[in-house]
Amino acid sequence: MPTITIDGREIEAAEGRTILQALDDAGLLMNGVDVPHYCWHPKLSIDGSCRLCQVEVEGIPKLQIACDTPVRDGMVVHTQNERVKEAREGVMELLLINHPLDCPICDQAGECKLQDYSFDFGVKESRSKEPRRALKKNVDLGPTIVFDQERCILCRRCVRFCREIPKTGELSIFNRGDHSVIETFPGTPLDNDYSMNVSDICPVGALTTKDFRFKIRVWFLEDVPGICTGCSNGCNIHLGVANNKVYRYLPRRNDAVNDTWICDAGRMSYSEIAAPNRLRECEVRNDSGQLEPVGLDRAIEVAADRLRRLIEAKGAGVIAGLASAHASNEDLFTFKRFLAALGSETFGVAVVRGKADDLLIKAEKASNATGAREIGFGDARTVVDRITSGAVDAVIALGHDVLQEGLLDNEEPLANLDTVILLDTQASEMQRVANVIVPVRHAAEKLGNFVNEARRVQRAVPAVESNWEAYSDGEVIAKLGAALGLEGFDGSYDARQVARDLAAAIPAFAGIDLDSVGDEGRVLAGSAASGTER
Amino acid sequence: MVISEQTRSKIDVAIAQYPQKRGALLPALHLVQEEHGHVGKESTVELAEIFEILPIEVMEVLSFYNMFFDSPQAKHHVYVCTNLPCSLRGARGLLHQLESHLGIKAPGETPDGRIFLGHEECLGACGYAPMMRVDGQYHEDLDVDKAKRILDSLGD
Amino acid sequence: MLETPYVTSYLTEHFGEADYPSIEGYERVGGYQAARKALREMSPEDVIELVKTAGLQGRGGAGFSAGMKWSFMPKDDERPKYLVCNADESEPGSYKDRILLERGAHQMLEGILIAAWATGASVTFIYIRGEYAFPADQVERAVAEAYAKGYLGDNVMGTGFHHDVRVTRGAGAYICGEETGLLESLEGKKGQPRKKPPFPAEYGAFGMPTTVNNVETFSHVPHIVEKGADWFRSFGTEKSPGTTIFGVSGHVVRPGLYELPLGTPLSEIVFEHAGGVPGGRKVKGVIPGGMSMPILPAGQLDVPMANEFLREQKTMLGTGGVMVMDETTCMVRVASVISYFFRDESCGQCTQCREGTGWMNKIVDRIERGAGEDEDLEVLLDVAGKMEAKTICAFADAAAWPIQGLLRHFRDDFVEHVRQQKCPFPESFEL
Repeated sequence: MPTITIDGREIEAAEGRTILQALDDAGLLMNGVDVPHYCWHPKLSIDGSCRLCQVEVEGIPKLQIACDTPVRDGMVVHTQNERVKEAREGVMELLLINHPLDCPICDQAGECKLQDYSFDFGVKESRSKEPRRALKKNVDLGPTIVFDQERCILCRRCVRFCREIPKTGELSIFNRGDHSVIETFPGTPLDNDYSMNVSDICPVGALTTKDFRFKIRVWFLEDVPGICTGCSNGCNIHLGVANNKVYRYLPRRNDAVNDTWICDAGRMSYSEIAAPNRLRECEVRNDSGQLEPVGLDRAIEVAADRLRRLIEAKGAGVIAGLASAHASNEDLFTFKRFLAALGSETFGVAVVRGKADDLLIKAEKASNATGAREIGFGDARTVVDRITSGAVDAVIALGHDVLQEGLLDNEEPLANLDTVILLDTQASEMQRVANVIVPVRHAAEKLGNFVNEARRVQRAVPAVESNWEAYSDGEVIAKLGAALGLEGFDGSYDARQVARDLAAAIPAFAGIDLDSVGDEGRVLAGSAASGTER
Repeated sequence: MVISEQTRSKIDVAIAQYPQKRGALLPALHLVQEEHGHVGKESTVELAEIFEILPIEVMEVLSFYNMFFDSPQAKHHVYVCTNLPCSLRGARGLLHQLESHLGIKAPGETPDGRIFLGHEECLGACGYAPMMRVDGQYHEDLDVDKAKRILDSLGD
Repeated sequence: MLETPYVTSYLTEHFGEADYPSIEGYERVGGYQAARKALREMSPEDVIELVKTAGLQGRGGAGFSAGMKWSFMPKDDERPKYLVCNADESEPGSYKDRILLERGAHQMLEGILIAAWATGASVTFIYIRGEYAFPADQVERAVAEAYAKGYLGDNVMGTGFHHDVRVTRGAGAYICGEETGLLESLEGKKGQPRKKPPFPAEYGAFGMPTTVNNVETFSHVPHIVEKGADWFRSFGTEKSPGTTIFGVSGHVVRPGLYELPLGTPLSEIVFEHAGGVPGGRKVKGVIPGGMSMPILPAGQLDVPMANEFLREQKTMLGTGGVMVMDETTCMVRVASVISYFFRDESCGQCTQCREGTGWMNKIVDRIERGAGEDEDLEVLLDVAGKMEAKTICAFADAAAWPIQGLLRHFRDDFVEHVRQQKCPFPESFEL
């Protein structure tokens, strides 16, 4: 392992890495060692055109670009001496002579690398008296992206991204010299499943998303670490929160899960948190067959009464449990314990499947299908069969994914059941047949662990609070268990304690709870990757 | 199909000359331009198919080089070199005279589409300045009268 | 077709003979004998050693030892090796390669064949700038003749050596004369130079080991093989042996081509051979080696035309394009022409080059049209300084040097332009 010295500090680097990569590997890049850069990106090919990352390497007369200089044992690098600073200022000044003074109207302000580096590494005043080049502004580049050709600093990240990641190649640079511009082929817009990532990687406000345009200034946003719930990949995200509202998702880097990317569908799934179709109140169906809003205690009371009557009449074997692949491990473990204490042996988890690709998008469209299975919920098919064969009289359902084609197909088979208790986040046809409905929290509203398809446990923390009464699934089940007088249920619910209980109860989860899981997640025992934690 | 069979055969011959197919892209662009006078959008799409690349990759190459055009051009191309050795010997004055003669400004086209008059960078005729390149052919050691006569001789 | 040079030597002495461009004419004066000698009597290593010892510097502008470049080609590599003949001559003021292509295509081909033997190359790509239609036709004709006579193709001259030549044309971009910009263009892409390392000998045309040499460089090779290193060194200087073809242009009585030994004083070229400035005017400045090279003022023209001397005057031989400017010339106008060229031809990758060439041109133009201010000169010099030695290729340096040279020797022209808010040289060439 070659050892190099940067600004007097010794760093061990892996063979074959460049100076920038070595700094990035060590977690020092722009975090202890300042080598500002534009065209380099840890997950894209090396470009070498912005020239900002120039550093001095002892023994080499010309300054070298850190992004393309392989480390050699004993290399001595200087990143902050006069010569390097002058070169950096030179690049910054030249980038600004044609850059429009758009900051007051540009979405990027506050997270703009041109602003940041100008302030930290650039010149304070512009000496240019020449008019700036005038190019296209506010270009509809495709369904998700707005493009401003004048703001572009031609770092080519977006071009490389489209060619290397989704491999759709919609963007290119036409012409040459200072007439160079980013363009699409006429009639072929920027349109792929990962298109919005170009807005993340664009260092300036040239590429911005239509979704976020003019919504809020980024300095008002708090970045809360979390997990995307769109599919079982569990891409790491930052929820951008202000005023108790999530304004956007941004990908959060996790080299073991999603690198620095997220698919557009996942990124846009934040809209489900405050969607109009969120269930907002507990309801029970009255004797006239109408749903009536009630408080949680009343809903629990009604649910417990109905279940108690059924158990007395026919025994707990006629009660089935349908787990949700969107619920957290703690919710699901509580539910599993509940069903066991109840005496129900019919339970499973339904997962909606959709398209998958060989990048990030996974077929299972929920964030905790694997967690549900690891905790003991098998395929919902067995439950569905028992429902349709009449062997089940009551269903406690977390979520409505069982309504999909191939399982229940629709809510009709549930219409004849004695009791349907529904815990859910969004509205669905299931409400038509439910006797008791309780709104539950979205992953962004609670503390919970979720297991992705690669068996990595990842944590969500509460980023926002709904402005109606909502509860974790586990919380509701705990109360229901207490109302039924079940063994081990006193009505209390502490996600952290439940996580510890889960870690103690199921070997795969040993040592993993809501505190030990960390920001990068941890893989369940017995997984292929579990021996290679970063 | 916009690119003719004949041109396609010539492109195939060019492709065989290179270890990688794409090496023949510039020759192919020249051939298509010989046939149509420019490389339009449809040609770009067809070339992309031939070379198994994206149309945008053909277009970016097209846009980089001075000699390729993506839109229909005038019948005759007249380029006066205005680089340093030629300018020292009056090339720009000559160009202004030709502009007056045609009633247009360079770079620009006569209204009837007969002549495009432009300027070009050094063409390697520095000892015989001023000079111009007309429809690919060099005319050197020019004076204003000689240049005007050449322009006038260009047919419709 | 270009007229023959006013002064000839071993490269161009037969250029006046009507049949010389054809293969029969070339063979008549002993053509392809050197190739025969190299392929039949010498090992590849011998040839490389010979060319190294002869001290042939590349004639494309960089002046790097040709023999040394050939020795960089890997020996124990199974990948195919390529040669590229850089016939993209686009340096303003240079037109020497043009005549070598038009009249001496076989001489160049013979040099290519010898170089191929020396480096183990199986194919040579001759990349000719798109505007050189006639020279390219001449080269294609010569290549066809060479194939017909067995100098190219399978079993060259019965030696079992195989070599193919492909002629390909550029499409109008000066940057394709840069070694790796040319390779990109050859591969069917935009001619944007590559980061180095890797160098072409390791990763060149289509990813294979490649050596790129200039037209003139190849043209010297048959003579070196035929007559030896000592003979070659009898021309020119110790560090810069051989002849080169100077292309003289601008304010002289006899603009044209002159094949002279390296080391010939610039003043001799301008005043003796080219006849000095017409109309009895005085010389103001001379650009010695193509427009990328810094200008020399009238008082420094005694310098021998070879890199070891020119470097001391902060300029270089480049491609030997000698541009003479007389006392009527406004150097700000010269700067305008030069800076426009570099702005237009920048490939656009590197920040400093793309934005710097644009900025310099805008400043110079503003000064030229009478809207300049005092601070502009410092900014101009500073921008040029920001471009030097910090980019993927040397284009940015080539764009910076002429401006630095003009400000070094003719600052007053700029100062006067600013002070008078117009051009102080009423008789200067028109812009």
